[in-house]
Amino acid sequence: MRIAVLRPQVPFARGGAEIFSDALVEELRVRGHEADSVTVPFKWYPGARVLTQAFLWRLLDLTEADGKRIDMVVATKFPSYLVRHPEKRVWLVHQFRQAYELDRTDLGQFGESPEDRAIRRQVQELDRVALGEASRLFATSQNVAGRLERATGLVAEVMPHPAQELAYRNDGHGDFVLSVNRLDRAKRIDLLVDAAAVEPTLRVVVAGDGPDRSRLEGLARDRGLTGRVRFAGRVPAEELADLYATCFATFYAPVDEDFGLGPYESFLSGKPVITASDAGGPLEVVHDGSTGRVVAPEAAAVAAAVVWLRDHPDEAAAYGRAGHAVAAEVTWDRAIGRLLS
Amino acid sequence: MRVALFSPMPPERSGIADYSALLLPALRARCEIVTVKRGAKRPPRGTDLCVYHIGNNPDAHGWIVEALRRTPGVVVLHDFVLHHLVAGLTIGRRDGHGYLDAMEREGGVVARLLGHAVLDKRIPPLWENRPEDFHLAGEVLDLATGLIVHSRYVRDRARAAGYGGSVWIVPHPAFPVPGVAAADVGGEPLFGTFGNVNASKRVPQLLEAFARVRRRHEASGLLLVGATSPGFDLDRRLQRLGLDGAGLLREGYVDERRLWELMAAADVHVSLRSPTMGETSGTAIRALSLGKPLIVSDVGWFSELPDGVALKVPVDEREVETLTAALELLATRPDVRSAMGAAAHELAQREHDLERVAELYVSAFERAAGGAAVSDGVLREVSEAAATVGITPGSVEARELAARLAEVDLGG
Repeated sequence: MRIAVLRPQVPFARGGAEIFSDALVEELRVRGHEADSVTVPFKWYPGARVLTQAFLWRLLDLTEADGKRIDMVVATKFPSYLVRHPEKRVWLVHQFRQAYELDRTDLGQFGESPEDRAIRRQVQELDRVALGEASRLFATSQNVAGRLERATGLVAEVMPHPAQELAYRNDGHGDFVLSVNRLDRAKRIDLLVDAAAVEPTLRVVVAGDGPDRSRLEGLARDRGLTGRVRFAGRVPAEELADLYATCFATFYAPVDEDFGLGPYESFLSGKPVITASDAGGPLEVVHDGSTGRVVAPEAAAVAAAVVWLRDHPDEAAAYGRAGHAVAAEVTWDRAIGRLLS
Repeated sequence: MRVALFSPMPPERSGIADYSALLLPALRARCEIVTVKRGAKRPPRGTDLCVYHIGNNPDAHGWIVEALRRTPGVVVLHDFVLHHLVAGLTIGRRDGHGYLDAMEREGGVVARLLGHAVLDKRIPPLWENRPEDFHLAGEVLDLATGLIVHSRYVRDRARAAGYGGSVWIVPHPAFPVPGVAAADVGGEPLFGTFGNVNASKRVPQLLEAFARVRRRHEASGLLLVGATSPGFDLDRRLQRLGLDGAGLLREGYVDERRLWELMAAADVHVSLRSPTMGETSGTAIRALSLGKPLIVSDVGWFSELPDGVALKVPVDEREVETLTAALELLATRPDVRSAMGAAAHELAQREHDLERVAELYVSAFERAAGGAAVSDGVLREVSEAAATVGITPGSVEARELAARLAEVDLGG
């Protein structure tokens, strides 16, 4: 089949959604499909720009390319699913969260003016129309599917996507806890930094980059954590696999995360995950006392959980093995089989 | 965003007052709502949107119509046919000319002449005999900047009447079921009908159908709850059908608590109506909340109930026969009653959930207040971009742009 995988592109930014859609294209090709990625730049501010930029997708004609039919499009996140196509499938990573659960929070975008309120509702209307057109609708997690159903009444099939290709291995119980995530406020890396301040024996490695990096580095300096909290930045794949292999656990506790690849990568390396009780998607696979620790989103609680896993290597290894069994179930073969069926 | 709400409110005795009181806390959790004092002619300062609840009771809604005339806004249209309201606001205030003007506006000179006949008492009041022929909603529709309705039926009638503005369908919220025990009134099974006892609730047809069913189901009962409307001779009809004794259980107007007790006692709720004003039945919504199977007339909003929840009786020459068959089916099949009741309860929880309804309301408010500015902004940006690449108004490309915008409700 000839398949176009659609995603918006925020220039100079790359995160889980981009890794996911690139991997999907690659995996489709491996299975003999002619697949390509279609991206359109996306800017969601100020004012109604979110709507006009979303509307660009509506104007695209992806029924064919260069005289050859495109059999299917697979849209991944807002606003790429506004595309019109007779065989539109959506594998929803997330909607435009500012119009939903992030509204009226610190991470929201819309104010209280009638115009702002109406823009938010219009985004919801776009979702209702465009997602309602999909011939099949998947969501990467129960959390994403639940939000979708509450907001639009549309029911999505839950289908997690596999973690990125890495040389996953377990080199044993190391001496640091690892965070792998984009550095923005919603990911709450500061909880881990503060946990290191609470517990003076903790060692932390933070991999990833993003707009919150300088604030987080400043926070670590202010807390006197230089030397114990290392910001590694965006690391190459080989180094990332090394970090996973040599940590004793990972920390992954965003606010109400859609899905979260982090736990899957951690599990594939045989490492347990520490998350927060309000983390959303990760809670579907991170279970307290089974595949990791689930604690209140407070620095002291995080510190206690990290120390406990560090000081209980047998339990940490058992949790990591249980997590591995969960992650191993999520394969590209299964996912692509469902996606195209 | 600040919304001024013009609605009857308790302690005023009106279904819409109860409705607004039920919704208000959930609305306020999402939006700043100011309830406007009865009789006020204008909204408070700083209001972004006025919302007017319009129903057919002239005493409850007259002042609201007057405020709407001064400041147009979103109308919550509880009934589509507003003949009774308009008659009350004109004839009821000795303004015969106002009534004639309203009739002429809707039906031309012929309607005006009919209006004269009503004023001269040459023909019975049209709001009692032919309300569906003269809805008299024209003025309210003209003043409404947007409409909130409870059914597709009312939306379609508004459209058919030429209304071109935004229309949002928002279901009636389910009432929270109070913790009351079912009244011990007998009847196996017990059919119940609740509300005013009169011809438009199809009580004569129901009595006749029940009389037939009772011949085969001697233990069955019919609970008739509500005040008898003036001019409706219930006793004479009962006598004629031989229903003046066993089987019929009669209660007049009852308070809210007793109403729930009686509703809980009924195995099947019968909610018939014709003609319909386009209204949503509060008692039918209560039946859904209680998880009771329904028998309804196949008209207006009632037709939109899922088949798994309600047996629908067409209002035609075979109405009594069909109604008899529906009563008979539910009398003999407790399993069907049980399945329909479960479906009713599920529908109330899913479709009529109070929080969901409030969210739909506030969505409509927000789009009504800011939607035009947003559409204008989007259109401006798209048309400016189009113009820079030579797309001119009226061209094929411009029409394509407009079609795509309209598809996603962006004002194309």
